[in-house]
Amino acid sequence: MTSSVVGQLILKDWRLNRLLIVLSVALGLVALFVAQFGSELARLFGTVWFFVSLIVLGSILPGTAIVSERKKQTLAFIMSLPVSSVQYSLAKMASIWVMFLVPWLTLLISAVVLVATRNIVPHGIIPMLLIVAVLPLIGFCLISSAALLVGESEGALVAATIVCNSSYWFAFYLLCHIPSLAANWSRPVAVWNPAAFITLSAELGFIALIVGLTLFFQSRKRSFI
Amino acid sequence: MTDLAIELRGVSKRYRHFTLDNVHLKLPRGQIMGLIGANGAGKSTTIRILMGLVHQDSGEARVLGHSMPAEQVDAKWDIGFASEDMRLYDSMTLAWHINFIASIYPNWDASYAQLLLKRFGVPPDQKIKGLSHGQRVKAALLLVLARKPKLLVLDEPTTGLDPVARHEILRELTNVMADEDRSILFSSHNTQDVEQISDQITFIDRGRIIDSMDKEAYLDRWRRLRLEVPSGIELPPLPGIIGIQQRGRLAVATSNAFVPGLANAYENSGARVQRIENMTLEEIFVANVERSREEVEA
Repeated sequence: MTSSVVGQLILKDWRLNRLLIVLSVALGLVALFVAQFGSELARLFGTVWFFVSLIVLGSILPGTAIVSERKKQTLAFIMSLPVSSVQYSLAKMASIWVMFLVPWLTLLISAVVLVATRNIVPHGIIPMLLIVAVLPLIGFCLISSAALLVGESEGALVAATIVCNSSYWFAFYLLCHIPSLAANWSRPVAVWNPAAFITLSAELGFIALIVGLTLFFQSRKRSFI
Repeated sequence: MTDLAIELRGVSKRYRHFTLDNVHLKLPRGQIMGLIGANGAGKSTTIRILMGLVHQDSGEARVLGHSMPAEQVDAKWDIGFASEDMRLYDSMTLAWHINFIASIYPNWDASYAQLLLKRFGVPPDQKIKGLSHGQRVKAALLLVLARKPKLLVLDEPTTGLDPVARHEILRELTNVMADEDRSILFSSHNTQDVEQISDQITFIDRGRIIDSMDKEAYLDRWRRLRLEVPSGIELPPLPGIIGIQQRGRLAVATSNAFVPGLANAYENSGARVQRIENMTLEEIFVANVERSREEVEA
């Protein structure tokens, strides 16, 4: 019975936030559409816009789905339902991850298909595209964890968002300077060397660690409202 | 099945600026308890512990036979909780909320929900942000009542409501009690509301339960004696008298255990009893709080 409550909480979040998701997908698809035009300026503009749409979604979604529940005092309404604080956190994690992964995967698959079929850039860019595309996922993971754990402190959440959003370009710079990754960008085919696999695995492992720690600390909270 | 809807035994919760101290509370099934306290007295903390939303530092909390917070999920299937600071989703309609709650509770009574919509006069298709405060409170209460809970926990539900809305809500709560197995814990600082519907009254102040008993017993036991005290006569200390205020020849004695013998005792001491007055629940509450604070400070 409780699993159905958790399911209803996930559906509820989806219904409340679907406009934001549709808008971010639309924004990302427009960015990809722009990027496929031949000029370098259009590619640059489209690529930046594409990543910005994911970064913005990753920054806004935890605020609208988690923090506003506390700020607008709807959390008490939800916690009056037959769920524990851990089940609430699980439902919230699941719903915001679904809400982020749907546009993220839609846009990422669209980008990979675009690169693979339109020959606007060498296919060697694909591993790097995937590695860089995981960065907004990490940022989203960190911001949503902060929202769950310190959601009552808006300042802490703003600080987490600022730190994450200002770290993207630094992380991008570091990735571009891994020689075994950068060397394969301009190749006509995608090269999945150990460096690409290790980097991608490290990113995904870091996400799993953050999610695990968040659930652990959330389960130890003694005051939930 | 236990006969108690709520049982708190030695429950304490310490915050930096507030402590809920060794709270003992019992609410038998089928009864309405009014929890009265000033702002910041500990009503909401007590209720949050009962709902499993705050974990007590020590002591035991049981609701409908379930240990809280460990068994809060099982307990909450049968608890309807609404609080003054609880909000619904502004951008959605009441109809959306009804569908959401109905999808969770198998006991949801759709025809009762329709009846309440009519009685409360809340438009189901209007967004919550377009409703008045009174309509929002009624909407929240509708969502709680139509799931047919065995226990209603209401934290200041009538705060900020106009007299008509308060009356409608109190009448509906009284109707709920037609089912003898249902219980209500109702916190408020408005003693009139509590007096109107409660069977049991509990006073809480500065994190401590200062008194808890049957409402009729309160009203029977508490009296104010207006006395005329001739010069040279000193009023004797009597059991059951918790305070005396004297100005010149006139004195007011407050009793929390009134028996007719008290009046005789004053007459015998040389004073004249002018009047014996009943006290309102608000007066009893204030006298109780003052006595409790004097005891703590002494």
